[in-house]
Amino acid sequence: MQPDAKNDDLIRSARFRAEREEGWRRLEQLVAQAEKSGMAALGYDDAVALASLYRQAMNSLSVARSISMDKALLDYLEALCARAYLVVYAPQESVTGVLQRLFTHGIPQAVRRSTTALIIGFLAMVLGGFVGFMLYQQDTSWFFTFVPSGLSDGRVPGASEAYLRSTLFEDGGRDGERLGTFATFLFSHNTRIAIFIFALGIFATLPSFVLTFYNGLILGAFYAMFHEAGLGYELFGWLSIHGVTELSAICLAAAGGAQLGLAVILPGNMTRREALRERGRDAVKLVILAGLMLIAAAIIEGFLRQLVQTTQMRLLIGWGIGAAWLAWLLLAGRDTVGQDT
Amino acid sequence: MIGRPANILPPEAVPIRLEIASGGARFGAQALDILITFGGLFLLFWALIWANVLDWSMLATLFFLLVFLIRVPYYILSELVWNGRTIGKRIVRIKVISADGQRLTPHQIVARNLMKEVEVFMPATTLLSGSFQSGWVGLALTLWMILVLCVPLFNKRRQRLGDMIAGTLVVDQPTAVLLPDLAATQSTAGVGFVFQPEQLDVYGRFELQTLEQILRNRPKTEEQRQRVSDVVHTIRRKIKFEEDVAARDEWDFLTDFYRQQREFLESRHLFGDTREDKFHKTGS
Repeated sequence: MQPDAKNDDLIRSARFRAEREEGWRRLEQLVAQAEKSGMAALGYDDAVALASLYRQAMNSLSVARSISMDKALLDYLEALCARAYLVVYAPQESVTGVLQRLFTHGIPQAVRRSTTALIIGFLAMVLGGFVGFMLYQQDTSWFFTFVPSGLSDGRVPGASEAYLRSTLFEDGGRDGERLGTFATFLFSHNTRIAIFIFALGIFATLPSFVLTFYNGLILGAFYAMFHEAGLGYELFGWLSIHGVTELSAICLAAAGGAQLGLAVILPGNMTRREALRERGRDAVKLVILAGLMLIAAAIIEGFLRQLVQTTQMRLLIGWGIGAAWLAWLLLAGRDTVGQDT
Repeated sequence: MIGRPANILPPEAVPIRLEIASGGARFGAQALDILITFGGLFLLFWALIWANVLDWSMLATLFFLLVFLIRVPYYILSELVWNGRTIGKRIVRIKVISADGQRLTPHQIVARNLMKEVEVFMPATTLLSGSFQSGWVGLALTLWMILVLCVPLFNKRRQRLGDMIAGTLVVDQPTAVLLPDLAATQSTAGVGFVFQPEQLDVYGRFELQTLEQILRNRPKTEEQRQRVSDVVHTIRRKIKFEEDVAARDEWDFLTDFYRQQREFLESRHLFGDTREDKFHKTGS
């Protein structure tokens, strides 16, 4: 290249700058545009120009660091490259693509990889249920210790069988619209609890475990009370229709928490920070799954439980849906493509 | 707070430096987000109830749904859509990036925001509502929540627990301002000072860049002019510059010196003789 006469008397680094400044200005302009209204707002030519100008600017920065002592120039290029980098390396996956990969591979694979955590999650619930049941058998007053009075709603030890039965088989006079409200409330409330249980797991698993265990305790005590009134089977149906999905979701959230906790307690050869990042991948997918199942559970609990009134049907629907979840999680994404996001 | 650099290595393998966002900016962005979401919700419902277009059960449904959405999902969605920025972050000009220099993945965004529930919302609501449990348990819980809130203040890269799990950082949005090149724009029309190699041998990069700072602002008051004059005297003494410099030529003297000094240092640098500062000869 023949340097033009105007630049001839400049020193080397000033010439370097004069030759490239135009490209930087253009890049700056494109970056500002992309920052303001997103990459999608750029035209085809602009997008192509952005990519190549970005590489040129990076190149300039690298060269300028070795030849120039102009602080202003170095600061400018550093900031320009950082800005351009943030625009060029923006997340670009399409939402549908991400979701598809998540459902076909990400979630099922994550679940299959998290055996230990899942055992911890489900164990917490089952143990809680068992302890709750046994304690109630010994002394019914334990019920009042476990179950908050807002939750029991008259369903306490010593309540008449007829009343208990009526709580299982009546639609509460709710019409469709009210059921919708109820379902939304359940979903929003339960999902928050699930996220909470998950996130607490980072404190060495224990809080997640305790919360899930406590849920189990309530469940166990409730079951024992209905069992005492001779309504064990009916309660089982009443719980099964949504509980198979809902309680599994809580256990999954606890398992996600356990993944984080395990990374903190047993990081292995990695640092704790690395271990958290590593395990976090699966843990987050477990929570997404839990959220999904809670939406399903809320719909079932909000609508179906009130509409389906026989125990057999309740059992069939509840465990049928449970089997469907299990089939998806066990069978999907067995091929190796689309590993992870 | 003092800035802390985060060195990021993009796939182009040219390390770039970003400033880690300050604790104040993080707190401000979070406060703004909460204000915007909850304030928006409040205003929306105030308007809806006032307009009386929906019956109560619809309102309740909408309410439960929105209360859920403005917690974790709002942060996930906005950071996905706006490339690591929520509305609050946009206002205070900070953004989330991936610590490994690659692009921010949806997984990272979801992971860091799920933790918000225990890291931000739970402590904030409990501490603000003042519904403490009494006794040792309550005290321990409060202490623990404060500790969780303070995690970003105690680590070098100001990461929340969620940031650690996701492998993300929050940085200031860089602003690029290109100042004119002193060596190119201010070539002297007047006297034209020429310096000998042994005179340029004295200073190093640090002094050159300090001089650059001085040259960025032309003196306007008498006091500033006096300071420039002091600088000229010091330089003349140090480099043993014998010629007289008239008062009106002092600025030109500095510009010429800057230009020749820079050219000299840059060419020494190319030959592998980098001079960081004026102590380059004593080797300290």
